[in-house]
Amino acid sequence: MGLWLTYLRRTPLLIFLLGYTVLTGGPFVWVASMSLRTTAEIFADPYALPTRPHWGKFAEAWMGSNYSTYFRNSTIVVASAVALVTVIGAMTAHCLARYQFRTRRLLRFVILAGLVLPPQMLILSLFQIMLDYHLYDTLPGLALVYVATQLAMTVYLLEGFFAQIPQDLFDAARMDGYSDFEIFWRITLPIGVPAIFTTVVLNFVTLWNEFLYAVVLMTDDDERTLPLGIMHFMGSHQLDVGMLATGLMIAIIPIVLIYALFSETMIRGMSAGAIR
Amino acid sequence: MPPALDTSHPARPRPGGRQPTSDGWRPSLATLAVLLAPAIVMYLGFTAWPVVRTFYNSVHLVGPGGDTEFVGLRNFSDVLTADPNFWTAVRNTAIFTVVGTTIDVFGGLLLALCLFTRVPFVRSLRVIWFLPVLMSYVVVGVIWVWIYDYDWGVVNLVLRAIGLGSLETAWLSNPSTALWAVMGTHLWKWLGFNMIVFLAALHALPSEVLGAAELDNCGWLAKLVYIIIPMLRPTLVNLTVLSFVGKMMIFDLVWIMTQGGPLWATETVSTYVYKRAFDWNTFDLGYPSAIAVLWFLIIIAFVVAMSLLLRQRDRLEF
Amino acid sequence: MGLAFTIRRACFGACVGVLAGGGLVPPAHAEDVTITVWSHEADEPAKVVFRNKAAHDLEQAHPGLHVKLTWYEKDGLYTALRTALAAGRGPDVFYLEPDQLHQYVSAHYIMPLDDLVNWNAIYPWAREVWQENGKTWGIPQEVNLNVMFYNKDWMKKLGVSVPADGQFSQSAFLDLVKKARAAGMAPISQGVGDRPYPGAYILGEALLHKLGKDDYAKLWTGKLSFQDPRVVAALTWVKQLVDAGAYPKDFSTMKLGESFYYFYSKPGAALFPMGSFYSGRAFAPPDKGGQPADFPLGIMLFPAMDGAACNRCETSGIGSSFVINAATKHPKEAAEFLDAMSTPQMTDMWIDTVYEPAAMKTTTQGFSGPHADYLNALMASQKGVEYFTGMPLDIMQNGQCKDAFGQVLNSAFPAGLLTVDRAVTMMNAACFGH
Repeated sequence: MGLWLTYLRRTPLLIFLLGYTVLTGGPFVWVASMSLRTTAEIFADPYALPTRPHWGKFAEAWMGSNYSTYFRNSTIVVASAVALVTVIGAMTAHCLARYQFRTRRLLRFVILAGLVLPPQMLILSLFQIMLDYHLYDTLPGLALVYVATQLAMTVYLLEGFFAQIPQDLFDAARMDGYSDFEIFWRITLPIGVPAIFTTVVLNFVTLWNEFLYAVVLMTDDDERTLPLGIMHFMGSHQLDVGMLATGLMIAIIPIVLIYALFSETMIRGMSAGAIR
Repeated sequence: MPPALDTSHPARPRPGGRQPTSDGWRPSLATLAVLLAPAIVMYLGFTAWPVVRTFYNSVHLVGPGGDTEFVGLRNFSDVLTADPNFWTAVRNTAIFTVVGTTIDVFGGLLLALCLFTRVPFVRSLRVIWFLPVLMSYVVVGVIWVWIYDYDWGVVNLVLRAIGLGSLETAWLSNPSTALWAVMGTHLWKWLGFNMIVFLAALHALPSEVLGAAELDNCGWLAKLVYIIIPMLRPTLVNLTVLSFVGKMMIFDLVWIMTQGGPLWATETVSTYVYKRAFDWNTFDLGYPSAIAVLWFLIIIAFVVAMSLLLRQRDRLEF
Repeated sequence: MGLAFTIRRACFGACVGVLAGGGLVPPAHAEDVTITVWSHEADEPAKVVFRNKAAHDLEQAHPGLHVKLTWYEKDGLYTALRTALAAGRGPDVFYLEPDQLHQYVSAHYIMPLDDLVNWNAIYPWAREVWQENGKTWGIPQEVNLNVMFYNKDWMKKLGVSVPADGQFSQSAFLDLVKKARAAGMAPISQGVGDRPYPGAYILGEALLHKLGKDDYAKLWTGKLSFQDPRVVAALTWVKQLVDAGAYPKDFSTMKLGESFYYFYSKPGAALFPMGSFYSGRAFAPPDKGGQPADFPLGIMLFPAMDGAACNRCETSGIGSSFVINAATKHPKEAAEFLDAMSTPQMTDMWIDTVYEPAAMKTTTQGFSGPHADYLNALMASQKGVEYFTGMPLDIMQNGQCKDAFGQVLNSAFPAGLLTVDRAVTMMNAACFGH
């Protein structure tokens, strides 16, 4: 009897869960289904499942557009930017969290002020400046810009976490004769792994999908990153809803696969008291 | 060779905030230089210099080929007095940010609580609910434009099916619903993120406290309000700040879905700046820079107000 | 290790930069020249084939000359041009439309083509559109006629027959719209999500009819007030159409391409005011979003207005055109590409595959190809028509006026968001006397 009551009380909860799952997962299922149908079929019945899946459309979309280049560009830019910003951010956060020096407060304020800096403050001038540095329309240039844009948030999250590591550990290490670098390398970084993991994930997701800077700072088709590539694909297939859906699926599938493989690791990493 | 440090059991950070930095921790200049130099270089080159340049641009007319003409504060006065579109954009962004952040944070908490109580398929639900977060704005925007379509989009179809056909409208073309429709999509994308972070924080709560609450026969609502939320306060603050800042700068989604239309109903400050810089019929960069500077000052005002409101001593301390 | 790691990362970045930079520079060869071309209309298959063929033929005729064509959607193209040209990095040749002429000339981004291009191949009246300050700045390619496409079967279903001269009267047109709505049909397909002009097709032609060519030109160049009673009458009539539910609910966000299949596929509409570049998209294969194979397409003129000065006037415009970057290092080769698209053979190919009138001179009579009927019907509809060359955006010089046109007459007014008075005030504020 008690079990029944529990189930009954939980029914609204279960209905809500089901509803929200449909809300989040539904659109993907729909796009997946559309990606295998032709435009004519879709207009006849937008929500039906494919009667005869046209697998060839994927090959067509891949071949006909420059998707492989876009993937390659995105991977290069995002991987290098995330690696760089993690290293730089961790060093800075460690410094701000652990050491006392005269300009510390000012420096911390200045770097964290970057958090509230709207991209618009930067984008127009960055455009001019990138020209001056000869970094306009180059992958390394874009990667450096990405590092700069994500630095404030990375420092913010890491510094908060690093500051909570018990001081005794560091005192003990100092007394044992560890140098500053070894302290950073052997204590802060290993303990800080959950927070670092969180920032890596956040930065990766943000930068992989980053659009505004890429639009303004890249013009050559060979340098386009994936979001620009998708937009370009949208433009050339405006009438062809079926092909649009296929193009979308090509962008969605890798993310879903990677996420499905790594979700447990990622969530475990983020769950280890990452943002407390 | 110093004895190996036992880092096999990494110490968890103690709750309760920052540790004091002891006095003896004055680092050598060399250490400081190496640790901080990269960040400072990046900052100066790609953040500070552009900001200065934007301030410079805002008091000039910047034509193509870089020729500038000093105009003093004329750009600013034009923005503030002669530009109704600017104020519309500010209003829209403010509504979007305040309402959106509130729903974002509390919605995330709600979802996390749902998954925290033992329900079936937690693992799969976590995966599915987090998927939208990973998607590019382009993907999300295009899909939701289709969903909001008046004739064959899901929203209107469902409304018609359940008999609420009178409510159907062109969600993105109707000025009174456009902003809310875009907000809905934005929330759809980001709720999963807040959910995951809250879930992690919930799992990190010391079980003794929750157990004690059980013993005291607290109802779940009381438990929630008096115990869980206060214990989650740092997380709440963090997520609110991140969400707030992110929504203030929203550009991509609006650009893909409505481009600021119809009739400026979804025009945000970022889309307006972008339009004035790249879509307007002159090639002047000075005027949009003035808008950007003004917006920056408004954001700072907001952040200061927020930190005063939250009176958070150890987080937003500047 | 941290620092070394950082240094290695920086080197990696620099190396990538060198490789990326290196890959873009063509191998140094005495005569090897590569010209870059940026073109719009990636979603009009016939035009893609056309321009690719011109490039290919040119490469065959000139060994050592390479043409690199990159395709864009219009918005993306204009944004990319703005940033690239400002950076001094633009393409050698790019697509442009006449409404952009003034800005690009005053910014010194394009070069005069008077001595570079073979003008014998181009109609003089088309060339005029691209002239400013006595020089010609672009080579026109596509000629647009503003016509009203319609669905013959739906007209029959509504029991309405199109008049013999191809024009409804003002009131008959309004009745048609009302009848269509009452029958549950979408009367007109139109979308302004990604263009600043389609919403003003009906209004524009109404104004042209009522005002006649001279006053119409005066209106858009700020010499005639929008409070002129004829203008107000035209606006009032369009407001009646709007209030009768003429335009689709998604009008404000529907993209140009989407308005095509809104008309001939889903959900379908009775009327489709559009330029004759309709064929570029409509004749794509049906399973890729083109018109269904047996679609009953009809072509007629825009409605005749009461008390009009020129009811047989019709707007024609120059559409796709190309210009040469003022900073190009290969002006002669760039000009050769432009000429390659204007040869008589290419002109024939244009007419027979793209199915649009061309700015290039042609002497062949009669049309061939699977959609020849379309061109025949188009030409038949043009009997007795006088042309006014230039869409409103092409004629306007003032940036504020253009923006107001896009927001007010193109978008907000047809969406039913403004009263006639409000529209008049807003347009006058932006255009009249400027």
